[in-house]
Amino acid sequence: MRWLSPLEPNNRHQGVRTERFDGVGNWLLETTEFREWRYSEGGADKAVLFCSGNPGVGKTYLR
Amino acid sequence: MIDSLCDRAQEDNIAVAGLYCDFLSQQDQITTNIMGAILKQLVSRGGIPDHLREAFQKGKKEFGGRAPRLADLMGMLKIVIASLPQVFICLDALDECLQKYVSELLESLRDIVQESPRTRIFLTGRPHVRGDVQRYFSKAVVIPISSNPDDIRNYVEMRLDRDSEPEAMSNDLRVDIVRVILEKISNVSVKAFGTPTPSMMCTYQRLGVDSS
Repeated sequence: MRWLSPLEPNNRHQGVRTERFDGVGNWLLETTEFREWRYSEGGADKAVLFCSGNPGVGKTYLR
Repeated sequence: MIDSLCDRAQEDNIAVAGLYCDFLSQQDQITTNIMGAILKQLVSRGGIPDHLREAFQKGKKEFGGRAPRLADLMGMLKIVIASLPQVFICLDALDECLQKYVSELLESLRDIVQESPRTRIFLTGRPHVRGDVQRYFSKAVVIPISSNPDDIRNYVEMRLDRDSEPEAMSNDLRVDIVRVILEKISNVSVKAFGTPTPSMMCTYQRLGVDSS
């Protein structure tokens, strides 16, 4: 598996997961934009959801 | 996001892969490694597919173990993604990736979506990479993220609840702390999740410790 990539994203994910405060970013899951992206039956047009924001606003910790 | 998706992965029959870009490991975060990491996560769910095993065996014999090139990885990734019902790829902090790889990365992702249009891609990044994202995905949905006062209030309340000196706290002081922090945050952006920032600690100390 290391042959494919030396990166181990799981380590960082575990850190974020542990530090995240429950409920943070839940509002995003309720938005129409999120739902459309999440549950649309496909279509390359709707493939990308980009959360844009300044450093430190909590993008990494969105649940 | 990865957790929200993973929680429902089984019910919804989806596969989730993701990666956090980081200034500190920029040198390693080249497109090849990022795509390799995505592939690695997707195949670790089930057994290693034969085509991947063969490519590895072949690479091992050549040149004393050749690492796969981006084109090789993309080929393998496309096969794996096509074999799964639906794949979600999450990339955090696109802006922390070296600029010269951002385009290549987005191009690779576009390639994947063209091949498997059901694939969903979740990206985060500072506003300045928006142009890059839209160059490759003109219809990308952009959600602006700013610090959410409710999230911050809840977080501060939790920290106050866990304060090691509860006797130094009064109700008025508590209300004050929350108010001042929220006021400050409405002016500047601070990292209020995870570890508290120095500015938060200062406010906390000034109000909490000095007056005790």
